[in-house]
Amino acid sequence: MHIMEGFLPPIHAAAWTAVAVPFLVVGARRVVTLTREQPQTRLLLASAGAFAFVLSALKIPSVTGSCSHPTGTGLGAILFGPSVMAVLGAIVLLFQALLLAHGGLTTLGANIVAMAVVGPWVAYGVFRLTRSLGGALTIAVFLAAMLGDLATYLMTSIQLALAFPDPTSGILGALTKFGGVFALTQIPLAVIEGLLTVIVVNLLTQYSRDDLDALAFAHGGAK
Amino acid sequence: MFAIDRHAWANRWRDRHPGERLLLAGGGLLILSLLPVFTTAPLILLVMTIATVAGAGIPVRDLLAFMAIPVGFLLTGAPFLAVSLDLNDGIRLAFSPAGAMTALEVTLRSLAALSCLALLALTTPVVELVALLRRLGVPSAIVEIMLLIYRLIFLFMEQAITGQHAQAARQGYSTFGRSLRSLGQLVATLLQRALQRARRLETGLAARGFEGELRVLSPVHALSWPRLLRIGVLLGAVSLLALRLDRWLG
Repeated sequence: MHIMEGFLPPIHAAAWTAVAVPFLVVGARRVVTLTREQPQTRLLLASAGAFAFVLSALKIPSVTGSCSHPTGTGLGAILFGPSVMAVLGAIVLLFQALLLAHGGLTTLGANIVAMAVVGPWVAYGVFRLTRSLGGALTIAVFLAAMLGDLATYLMTSIQLALAFPDPTSGILGALTKFGGVFALTQIPLAVIEGLLTVIVVNLLTQYSRDDLDALAFAHGGAK
Repeated sequence: MFAIDRHAWANRWRDRHPGERLLLAGGGLLILSLLPVFTTAPLILLVMTIATVAGAGIPVRDLLAFMAIPVGFLLTGAPFLAVSLDLNDGIRLAFSPAGAMTALEVTLRSLAALSCLALLALTTPVVELVALLRRLGVPSAIVEIMLLIYRLIFLFMEQAITGQHAQAARQGYSTFGRSLRSLGQLVATLLQRALQRARRLETGLAARGFEGELRVLSPVHALSWPRLLRIGVLLGAVSLLALRLDRWLG
């Protein structure tokens, strides 16, 4: 769920941008090093970014009949690693604002923090943790995608609650309010995204093993 | 494929320097965040809409289509700001006047900010804006990746749409379970194809002696100082008027 242009108070918008910048700088440094060592990496990263954009433009089937879009956060984090995902996610979010009117320029920082930083790091952490505890690949992928999704929505709820505390019950009340609305609509979507990501990763491990080996995925102990 | 992109390449201002529109839209957003919302937002909305429709020649219908989805978000989101949740004696929802003021403020600010975004997005191709990022100190490797992403988006999007049509024609989306499986297959295939394309591009570039920099020709637009000045004056006038109105309304 992108926060739309102008929705956040200016101070909040600026603060979240400031929070996003260090992650982007670290990610950008990593991308620059990668591309210096192996110039062809930029084509791989560009393909990955364009893929992430297209993924977010596809419609996801939903139980309630309404339509939503996969975030691809979990899949991206598992495939490309969270630090690179911060940069790719930021680029995708900028393009979504300019090409699809999803999100916005002033809220770009807040959206980057929720969707390109918190989501991918949670997904990646859950994936590594489940794998190291001996969980099956399928379970690790499902949990990573689902919890990555939920973390994104929780972060967005926190951002909205901080910006618009409830007049009587304060930030906590606002968090219950926004979180409650999101929980109702987003928990089923997060489960669906988890299932979808499992299907995708299963197909990839069956039919394009070598592709996965070429990506960071193979280093994540997915074999 | 994307109506926004089509207008960006084919509006009346396409031959002008992107910096001019960036100043107008960015300046609008800046004024909006610094000055009182209730008087500034309607003025910004008015100025940006006139500039987009009368200046750049974007049809009103397409401008409204641009605003439609975000406004939907606004209509579902803003009412939540107007109700207040009381946790003290059980859970109780109540209408709150203070919340309603916030909701009105957010609605006005969002609409005005959206009109700035619309002006920029509908009149300026993404690649020209990305090229400006290089000036802001974004590493050239990142800028190149962004330019490549922009080009690849259209290729991949076409594959995705074609694939989804083919699946739908074969009843791939007739039930919930099938939809999920079809979408999974589509995503996996798209990723495979994306990686394949990356490899083919790598091979092709390597064969041409690629050493780590992609140089492409981009159209050069001269920056017009008189126009920049006029935009500055316009923004200044909007700010003064907003402040005057604010004082007058007390």
